Amino acid sequence: MSAIATSPAPRRARAQTAGRQETTWVVAVVVLLVGLLAYFCLFVPDFRELGVSGILALSEQFLFVGLIALGEALVIFAGEIDLSTGAMSSLSGIVMATLWQHGLNIWLAVVVALVAAALGGAINGLFVTRFGIYSLLVTLGTQFIFGSVATAVGGSTPPYNFPGSFVDFAGTGTVGPIPDQLIIFAVIAAAVWLLVARTRYGRGLVLVGYNRAASRYAGVNVQRTLFTAFVLSGLLAGVAGIFVSGFYNAARDDIGDSLLLPAITVVVLGGVDIFGGRGRMSGVIIAAFLLGFLNQGLLISGQSSLAATMVEGIVLVLCLILKITLNRRAGVRLMELLRRRFGNVQQIPAVPDA
Amino acid sequence: MVSVATLEGAVRSRDPQGTRYVGRSITKSFDGATVLSQVSISFEAGEIHSVVGENGAGKSTLVKIMAGIYQPDSGELLLGQHRLSGLSPRSAQHRGIYLVPQEPALMQALSVTENLFVGVLRRGRLRFNVDWKSMKREASAYLDRVGLDIDPEVKAEELSVAQQQLVECARALVHRCVVIYFDEPTSPLTGKEAGTLFEVMGSLRADGYTLGFISHRLDEVLAISDRVTVLRDGAKVLSAPRSQIDRAGLVMAMVGRELTTRERVRPHVDAAGRTEMLAVEDLTSLPHFEGVSFSVRAGEIVGLAGLVGSGRTEVAETIFGLRPTDRGSVRVEGKLLEHRTPRACIDVGLVYLPEDRSRHGIFAEVEVERNVTAGVIPQLERFGPLLKPAAERLMAKQATEKTAVRMASLDTLMKALSGGNQQRAMLSRWLLAGPRVAIFDEPTRGVDVGAKDDIHQLVVQLAEEGLACVLISSELSELTITCDRVLAMYEGHVVGELSGAEIADTSLGALVVGAHVK
Amino acid sequence: MTTLSTPPAPSPSAQATGPVASGGGLGSAALGLLRRREVQLLVAILALFAFCTALHPQFGASSNIAFILADSVTIMIVAVGQTIVVLGRGIDLSVSPMLGIAAVSVGFPASNNNLNIWLALLYVLLIGTALGIGNGFLVAVVGIPPIIATLATLTIYGGLQFIICGGLSVINIPVVYTNFGAANLLPGVPWLIVIGVGVVVFAYLFLTRTVTGRSVYAVGNNAEGAFRAGVPVRRVLFTTYVISGFLAGLAGLMYLCQIGSATSTSGSDGNTNLMSIAATLIGGTTLLGGRGGPVGSALAAVFLSEALQAMISFRLNEIWDPAGVGVLILIAVVADRKGVPVRQLFRQPFRPQPARAVK
Repeated sequence: MSAIATSPAPRRARAQTAGRQETTWVVAVVVLLVGLLAYFCLFVPDFRELGVSGILALSEQFLFVGLIALGEALVIFAGEIDLSTGAMSSLSGIVMATLWQHGLNIWLAVVVALVAAALGGAINGLFVTRFGIYSLLVTLGTQFIFGSVATAVGGSTPPYNFPGSFVDFAGTGTVGPIPDQLIIFAVIAAAVWLLVARTRYGRGLVLVGYNRAASRYAGVNVQRTLFTAFVLSGLLAGVAGIFVSGFYNAARDDIGDSLLLPAITVVVLGGVDIFGGRGRMSGVIIAAFLLGFLNQGLLISGQSSLAATMVEGIVLVLCLILKITLNRRAGVRLMELLRRRFGNVQQIPAVPDA
Repeated sequence: MVSVATLEGAVRSRDPQGTRYVGRSITKSFDGATVLSQVSISFEAGEIHSVVGENGAGKSTLVKIMAGIYQPDSGELLLGQHRLSGLSPRSAQHRGIYLVPQEPALMQALSVTENLFVGVLRRGRLRFNVDWKSMKREASAYLDRVGLDIDPEVKAEELSVAQQQLVECARALVHRCVVIYFDEPTSPLTGKEAGTLFEVMGSLRADGYTLGFISHRLDEVLAISDRVTVLRDGAKVLSAPRSQIDRAGLVMAMVGRELTTRERVRPHVDAAGRTEMLAVEDLTSLPHFEGVSFSVRAGEIVGLAGLVGSGRTEVAETIFGLRPTDRGSVRVEGKLLEHRTPRACIDVGLVYLPEDRSRHGIFAEVEVERNVTAGVIPQLERFGPLLKPAAERLMAKQATEKTAVRMASLDTLMKALSGGNQQRAMLSRWLLAGPRVAIFDEPTRGVDVGAKDDIHQLVVQLAEEGLACVLISSELSELTITCDRVLAMYEGHVVGELSGAEIADTSLGALVVGAHVK
Repeated sequence: MTTLSTPPAPSPSAQATGPVASGGGLGSAALGLLRRREVQLLVAILALFAFCTALHPQFGASSNIAFILADSVTIMIVAVGQTIVVLGRGIDLSVSPMLGIAAVSVGFPASNNNLNIWLALLYVLLIGTALGIGNGFLVAVVGIPPIIATLATLTIYGGLQFIICGGLSVINIPVVYTNFGAANLLPGVPWLIVIGVGVVVFAYLFLTRTVTGRSVYAVGNNAEGAFRAGVPVRRVLFTTYVISGFLAGLAGLMYLCQIGSATSTSGSDGNTNLMSIAATLIGGTTLLGGRGGPVGSALAAVFLSEALQAMISFRLNEIWDPAGVGVLILIAVVADRKGVPVRQLFRQPFRPQPARAVK
């Protein structure tokens, strides 16, 4: 077994630059995005011929993944994980569609569906904070529960053919060359970015991800922070579900599970540390577009959708390998890695926060 | 069939003279703080050598280095005649060195037999299969050796802590280890169980094993040791055979009486007429402490002395809302604090600088700026819901200037700072909260000597500005030179109070070891 | 020397059998047996069988029994692999496509070129092992959390499966295969289940009698402690994923023999992932690792197969299948608590409390 210690001086020097790793990663993602678009425009005629409005319209194919990724990133920042987001987006779409089918005004149905999504997130949050169960186990369970409820309620033919106004606004409508969904996404993404980078809540969230015990000692309400993160994750997944329904003009109960992996890939691609704390929300937003356009570009240049999905999986693996290698070089020891993975969680005095 | 006789033969066969294990000039730092400095120690065969000292004195770290769990920054380890390098827990076990951890780390769902042989399962004829039969036989022999009369097939989780500890001890024997360290083994045990453990240790000693015993419980140390070494602040202060020391001498060595009396930072303050800033009454949180009452006035520095296990940190954490309160109240400036949480305390001006800086205090991978503003997030300047980064930076800058934190910039990661500077940064954090009452828990632990004086000056300066201070420390000299009054705690109770000129190392020293308690 | 022979602290199970123990040795022995998940499942299987046959006599026909048993085999084999992974505190979400890839990889040569069934067996095992090595590499060598790593391989392998199919499906399997899938050793006991039982037996022997198998338990209980004790943690974890792949490959061939065809979504459409995890959990293995075994998972697989068949008999819409499975998982997890409060079970490993109190 290799010796574990490193001498203090070089580590200090490296420590000072490790903080820059985050910014570098974001810059790299931006450069990759630009490069990718350039590549496709130059070498894939079908892509080039779409023109600006066409390329922008492509985003509708993947913005819902981006929305889920935004929520997922919040939870991952805090050092937890939410596996139920994909299933939740299915469920919210189904809820909305079923309510509409039974006569409720579509916009009202949207509101109810979003409330339900937030409630689903609250359930996750409750089990993680109040009952202290690992988020992995909780969301594995709720993923399954939400998914089967969605399939069961949706039935063999989920509702479709929504009113034009809905499809126009939340689906395929545009303002000039820019799709409605893109505008909505931009607004939401900006809000989430501000939430993490520029609000008190965001500060607390990141600190909780770095060191949960120290956050408590510093006065951060850890329970409330985590709970809110799960609620937001559920809510954003709910919005994604609405987007999906709008885009396909049908409630899709099957799509949920296939959204989870791309969402997590986006988060990791965006430079967020899977163990919590490190990373920038801006990276996640750019990564949503990077992965999305990569996917679309592959499809347009003739690859099958499953091959494109494979590529997503490969991207995820490569990013993780890269991140872990960088962490190793910065001196994260094997035992720390084992410890975090096998969950010998930091000890905190067992007092529930107010 | 392995009999106990062959076991002992194994001990003797390792080295005819028995095994001597020496550490020379061991130095170790963690994240910039020096934990051990040039410590040399020698463990002889057939001896129980106790290492004592305060929490943070480095005794646990020293033994972990000897057992291969940590690597020393410098120094060498000599086992018999061999110089050891690149020791890991596994290679240490190979060489016959074993550490019985403070809390037994057995595999709960597995049987005792299997726990004994984890990593060295006896193989059968096919080389990849397990020879359960012979292991069960051997297990019984080993369990007998440590005086455990249990069925080896019982699952570990069904054993009491004391029994699990003895299983750990038996594991050492299974691994043919001749050097065995016991890290604070008696903390979770009852008196009777501890007695049994000591009997086992005694019999091992008689058979020529080399034993190390880490403890802060002086009664035990005095009862069983052949030799005692005292560590203080990472340095060896005393090392002598049992016959040459007594309790008083041990206490002095542990808690630090400087040979030259140091001067007080400021004269004693009689705060009689001032506002009572903190009033703690009958505070109880079982099983850690009970019936603690004291008060602190503006501008006063009240010390809280005691050994590890006396409950001081638990008192502070309970005041601060981190632990549940069974009974009792806390008032700040006369107002009762109900439903205490850290946030609620900070909001009324009560702050707490935790003892374990690296785990509970700093965010190692985060920049200094964010570390400093972490305590006052709700008070950061805002434009609507959005924070103003420039204002935040200014806040951090001013706070770190006030405490003279030495760092490359506010964007440096916290872990790059030295221990002393990290502590100053922590002080900046709490200063930003505009505190009225501050509890400092071991504020100079892991801080170099020069920086210690600076921190004392800082605390006194804050007191001069009106801050009511509680200073928890294991170092009696630190309390003697800074505090106006000192309370002593022992085993969860306040056992005495000294004020003004009464405070001296001797009187305090007696109180903290429970000399006046019967 | 005084010996520490005080009786061990009463465990919840010991307490529970306390009052009963006084009455008759056989009674308490039976109750002791009943505490074991495997026995509970056996009882559940028989009880459900009796219940269903009483209401629908055709449920008890030997052909139905054979069907239930045969249907459970693919899940059983995959579940055993999953159990081994979960025992090491991991999880394998890529079993669906591993099974699928194995099925189509030999399915095409079988139907087009009449591939010898024994060669097919060799191939699926190799393919499965290779896929398992992929998982093992990501988890044990690189250090990616198992949930993420196998989520990624789920997608990657799924894509591979699709590519291998190249838009086609496997049809017209040689009779050799389907005959095997349909043949019975005895009335009501198909050959498939014999293979399944064989797998379980091997897994049981592996886990209880080999050093590597015991190391899996050690790692699952306390990875850090195992590491310090000299267990090659990474190698052990790597092995668990390879075994999972190996068994998924075998299951792929069994699938082919039973169903007679394979498509680009074989494995995934049967919710193989979910079922393997369900069988593992219901079988008494906790997701936290270190406890449980393959026998329980195998019995759970049979029970699940029976339960699903029962739902068909009672005309319950297929769409509620996953929900039904979910309820069973919930019951299993709650019943698994052994008297430990749920939160403690899920939060951290059991820790003995310090005995001393303030004087």
